[in-house]
Amino acid sequence: MLVGVALAFYFRPQPVEQRIALGEQLGGDFTLESSQGPLKLEDFRGKVVLFFIGYASCPDICPTALSVASQGLHNLSPEEQKQVAGIFMSVDPKRDTPERLEKFAAYFHPNFHGATADRTTIDQVVKQYGAFYRMVDMEESAMGYAVDHSSRLYLINREGKLSKALMHAMAPDELTAEIRNLL
Amino acid sequence: MIKTLIGRVCLVGALGLTAMSASAEVTVENPYARAVPPGQMNSASFMVLNNTDTKDVALVAASSSVAKVVELHNHINEDGVMKMRQVDSIAVPALGKASLQPGGYHVMLIGLTQDLMEGQKIDLKLEFSDGSSQALTLPVQKVMAGMKSHKHHH
Repeated sequence: MLVGVALAFYFRPQPVEQRIALGEQLGGDFTLESSQGPLKLEDFRGKVVLFFIGYASCPDICPTALSVASQGLHNLSPEEQKQVAGIFMSVDPKRDTPERLEKFAAYFHPNFHGATADRTTIDQVVKQYGAFYRMVDMEESAMGYAVDHSSRLYLINREGKLSKALMHAMAPDELTAEIRNLL
Repeated sequence: MIKTLIGRVCLVGALGLTAMSASAEVTVENPYARAVPPGQMNSASFMVLNNTDTKDVALVAASSSVAKVVELHNHINEDGVMKMRQVDSIAVPALGKASLQPGGYHVMLIGLTQDLMEGQKIDLKLEFSDGSSQALTLPVQKVMAGMKSHKHHH
């Protein structure tokens, strides 16, 4: 019983903003699989990166996040936009192939890329970024299962360091301002 | 549209004859379906349901020719974790309304039979707990259009 309570506490997702505020070092490099081969955060040095963790069959939260990101990016000048990239990582490789993810991400902005990885890598990246996900059976639903997930838009600076975790449904103008701060 | 009109006419007739067992009257405001990237399996549709009657009613089912299955879903935000869950019904209280909007209740279109692109129109039939139904034609819109109405409802 006690162990259960302790575990529940341990696994309870703690808001990532709190952890960043408490001085915890989150974020860091990763290598994912994209339709163009390995996608390394390292290769984006010199650019501001908007990173989102979700799944492509997500009908609402993920497209909303990517739309906000896209809109926030479109508010910038074409010159500024060249210095910003987006990465969408799917935690659902069973349904999301790299090809499908690339199409999904690029639909929102040409600078956005979609990628996924094996379960071990996914879990490592999720942990690094203080994120959370969980597959949930939906027995009655034709979807079979859904994915509970934290919904933060991670802002990564030009040196590859996590700068901020933003709410997925923030106003695009605020995001534009946040990106400009890092350019 | 014609179906809706016929529905209304029947409803008015029913109200006239047996006021006690009449169906609740629900009007649908600003319905739209979300435009999705080509090849996407699922999408969602959003709207505001207005119950002008003094009786509670609930949305219990929906169907559309553009999706193999249509379900009612909700999003719950728990400590920043978004959880999507299927629900049996979406309550529309007497003289009240239910907002189906991004980040909350939605009509989930599962197994799309066609791409949903901005500017298209799709059909959606809503079924209510009182046995009434409404056939809608709704526009397909990009997410940001939905975001704007999302703001107004808060």
